[in-house]
Amino acid sequence: MRGHSLAADVTLHPLHARDQDERFEQEALPWLDDVYRFALSLTRDETDAEDVVQDTFLRAYKSWHTYEPDSDCRRWLFTICRNVFLRAREKERTTVELVDSEVDVIATSTLFFEAMRSGYEDLHARVDLAPALADALAKLPEPFRSTVLIVDVEDQPYEAAAQVLGVPIGTVRSRLFRGRRILQEQLLAFARDAGLAKQGAPTEGQPHG
Amino acid sequence: MADELPLEETAGPIPEDCLAVVRHLWDLLDDQLTDAQAERLRRHIGECEICHRYHLYQETFLETLGAYRSQFGAPSRVKARVLESLREAGFVESR
Repeated sequence: MRGHSLAADVTLHPLHARDQDERFEQEALPWLDDVYRFALSLTRDETDAEDVVQDTFLRAYKSWHTYEPDSDCRRWLFTICRNVFLRAREKERTTVELVDSEVDVIATSTLFFEAMRSGYEDLHARVDLAPALADALAKLPEPFRSTVLIVDVEDQPYEAAAQVLGVPIGTVRSRLFRGRRILQEQLLAFARDAGLAKQGAPTEGQPHG
Repeated sequence: MADELPLEETAGPIPEDCLAVVRHLWDLLDDQLTDAQAERLRRHIGECEICHRYHLYQETFLETLGAYRSQFGAPSRVKARVLESLREAGFVESR
C-alpha cells in the first residue's frame, strides 16, 4: 500500500486547479440532494448519512482528475457513496440474499388481487403516500432498498444500478421485484390501518361474492 | 368494478398469458424487453381487463416512487458541511 494521500498525488497549476474546481462545482455538487437521499437509504440514519455524504464529496473532489468528462457524474458519485458506506459497515457486504423469483411472482399478483378486492386498487393514484413511502423505504431491507432507490427513486437504468452496486443486471432485476413487492405490502398495510379503502368497497374479511 | 370481474379464477391456476404479464410487467415498464416481447405483452394487456388493471396499478406505483424523488433533498446543514470540508481540501467556489 502506498503511504501517501490521493490529494498528494495531484499537484495542479493554480489556474488548472481553478478550472477543475469550477467543473466540480458545476458537475458534481448539483447531485448533493441525490447523493444524500441515496446515503440516507443506505444508512437509515440522518447523522450517518451526513457523514457518508461529506466523505463522498471529499473523495470525489480528491479524485476528480479520474472522473471522465461528460460521463454520468451521478452514477460515479453513487458508486463512491456506496463504497464509503460499505467501508464504514463491512458487514453489509456479506448480506445473504435469497430471492426466489417464482415466489415473488405469485406474491405480487396475490397482493394485487387483495388490493383489488378490498378497495385499494387505485391507492397509489388516490392517496398521498409520501409519508408512508418514506417509512416503507426506511424499513426495506438491504440490498433491496439501495436497488429500489437507484432505479425507482433516482431514475437510473438497470446498467447504472448494476455498476453502482457491483452486481449483474439480473440481480438488479430480481432485487427490484422483491423490493417493490415488499414496498407494496407495506403501503397496503398502511392503507388498511388508516382505513383508506375506496368507498363502497367490500368490507375486509367478508367473503367475496 | 371488482364485482364484475371473474376474480374467482384467481383461486385456480392463473392463465399463462396473465402469468407472463405478472412476470414481466416491470420489465415492460422498465423498458427491459425487446420490441417483440413488449408488443406481445401489450397486446394481451389490451385484451385482458384484469391485466390492464394490473398494469395501471403497477404503473401508478412506480410513478409514486418516482415522485418521491422531488419531495426531499439534503438539509441545508449538509450542504454547508460538505462545502466546508471541500474548502478545507482546497476547493474554491466560483462565487
